Amino acid sequence: MTAAAQSLLHDRPTPLPMFVAVSVAGHVLAVVLWLIVGWLFAGPRVDLTQTPIKASLVRLGKPRDDKLLPRKEEEAPPPAPKVEEVAVATPAPPKVDTAIKIPTKDAKPEKADKKDGAKDAKKSLFDAFAKSGKQGKVLEELEGAADGDVDGDSAKQEGERYFGLLNAVVKRNYDVSNTIDEAERRRLRAEVALRIGAAGELIDVSLTKPSGNEQFDSAVIGAVKKAAPFSAPPEHLRDSLKKSGVAIVFTP
Amino acid sequence: MFSRIALLVLVPTVALAQRPVIEISGANFRPMPLAVAAPLTQDEGAKTSSAEFDAALAFDFAACGLFQVLDRKSFLADPKEGVTASTIQFQRWTDVGAESLVKTQLSTDGASLRADLRLFGVAAGREELKVSESVPSKDARRLAHKLANAVYKHFTRETGPFETRLTFTRKSASGRDVYVSDWDGKNAQRITNGDVNVLPTLVPGGGVAFTSYRSKKPFLFISKGGEPTQLIAKGSMVTGAAFSPDGKRVAVSVSEGENAEIFLANADGSNITKLTDTKFFLNTSPTWSPDGKKIAFVSNRAGNPQIYMMNADGSGAKRLTFQGNYNTTPSWSPRGDLIAFTARDERNAFDLFTVNVENNKVARLTQDASGNEEPVFSPNGRLIMFTSTRGGGRGLYVMTFDGNNQIALPMEKGDVTTPDWAN
Repeated sequence: MTAAAQSLLHDRPTPLPMFVAVSVAGHVLAVVLWLIVGWLFAGPRVDLTQTPIKASLVRLGKPRDDKLLPRKEEEAPPPAPKVEEVAVATPAPPKVDTAIKIPTKDAKPEKADKKDGAKDAKKSLFDAFAKSGKQGKVLEELEGAADGDVDGDSAKQEGERYFGLLNAVVKRNYDVSNTIDEAERRRLRAEVALRIGAAGELIDVSLTKPSGNEQFDSAVIGAVKKAAPFSAPPEHLRDSLKKSGVAIVFTP
Repeated sequence: MFSRIALLVLVPTVALAQRPVIEISGANFRPMPLAVAAPLTQDEGAKTSSAEFDAALAFDFAACGLFQVLDRKSFLADPKEGVTASTIQFQRWTDVGAESLVKTQLSTDGASLRADLRLFGVAAGREELKVSESVPSKDARRLAHKLANAVYKHFTRETGPFETRLTFTRKSASGRDVYVSDWDGKNAQRITNGDVNVLPTLVPGGGVAFTSYRSKKPFLFISKGGEPTQLIAKGSMVTGAAFSPDGKRVAVSVSEGENAEIFLANADGSNITKLTDTKFFLNTSPTWSPDGKKIAFVSNRAGNPQIYMMNADGSGAKRLTFQGNYNTTPSWSPRGDLIAFTARDERNAFDLFTVNVENNKVARLTQDASGNEEPVFSPNGRLIMFTSTRGGGRGLYVMTFDGNNQIALPMEKGDVTTPDWAN
């Protein structure tokens, strides 16, 4: 054997190309087999496009008749005041004429005006009752569902309840400047990703798909931050909300 | 090559974690906090016009729905602070919550009044707009409207509504008169003098048409600055004139006995033809689509007054409203998508609504604020003018097309009705 033949620079037959070729052929075969098996035993088709969850939290109340004209969504009124707190105006004391009147022959007896004060007090009392009655009526007339949530802001329930709650609290803080022009509003769409801890705390929030409008993008991030902390997520969502979080797509 | 293919095949597929996606719409579009500094005046003449100019500018900004005009009492900046970015202490404006700042300077030059307006972004401390305008000295309000339009256009890229015209009627000692004014109800000129004159409409190209009892029967008259002349006399009453957007045709409602039909005529009243034909029913209050191809109107053909739409030749009538049982006074948005109307709801309150022409979706604009009627869109479709009895007396109010920022016009209240609004 010559020294040249022993050199490391000398070409020798190597098994590597054969190995790669066999490996590639093996993998291609595996993929083809997987496709064939998948085609033969195809299950229900999985739609990889994510469909946004439309979630709203229904409030406690009765459903509204579709034939009626719509009412604006009303905030739940503050709790009714306690009965003893209802202010009843005290009637002003009747004016007392201190001058002594001398009765004359033609003088007619004066009508006592004490009734007026009593009448005013009665009216005030009725007004107060009417006011508290109206407040009760508003509560009664709010539209929602029998098993609705007192924090609900919608007349209909849709989707997972916790996402409905997230929707409601973020939406309450979803303030955007009016100066964004109408034409631009139509194309605005921003996606935000957020992770929520077990106690409902906001772990992080980021803009995953900006809208291209700085005012709108900062408004949607601001809406999430202002809405936090949230209610503690239910047991079955706790892990996924902490690890992969939830995305919110904002459109005007 | 082989190694590249191998890499592609061998790279493990990473399963991306799928997170749920919630969709939120219905943003609370809130007006931008805007500080409008008191105008700086450079001479006595400018000082005289300053108050009028300032009031008109502040109202334009407050009523247009884009801005929340901040109260001057809260301002921390020196009233004599300069009007250039280098002389403004922006932190003081940030501290009062302003996002934008308007500074104006007034001066006179002979018989003309000149104003320079600068708009600043407060957070960036940067001048965003500079505009100058001149008008005859007596037109301080018009000068303010011009500058407000410039600011409006800067933000929306649309023409503002501040140099448009308004018409309405007001009760007088001898009946009811027609007035034409600036968009804010100021500078009102009386068009009629005596008799009962109702339902005025601005004519494209100038003038105002209205139904008048001046010839004993209520027929349609038109005034183009001089004495009103009769335009259409037909049946027992001609009401609700609506000129097509190109100004070439006019739709009216003609009453005869207990029947009322929509008719279409040339703008000079000639060649009148009937568009609706529903015996024993009323068809009134026509309003044109912005492309002039359709007409919306009120009809009680289904038992109670509802909003309908038809082609401008009378064909293809279609009912638009199905909620409520008393829907009247439609006004078609110049943007084409919405028709505003008055409705009586289940509480017997008269309130304003819009119906979407495409999907018939009805949205409420006013609620629990006394009686609200007779809506009319601004020429750019962003605002709605209407009459309301809130605050005593029937007066004119303006709000955004979605019912926000309801604000009274700075004019005397007292039985003001049926506004119409045009360029």
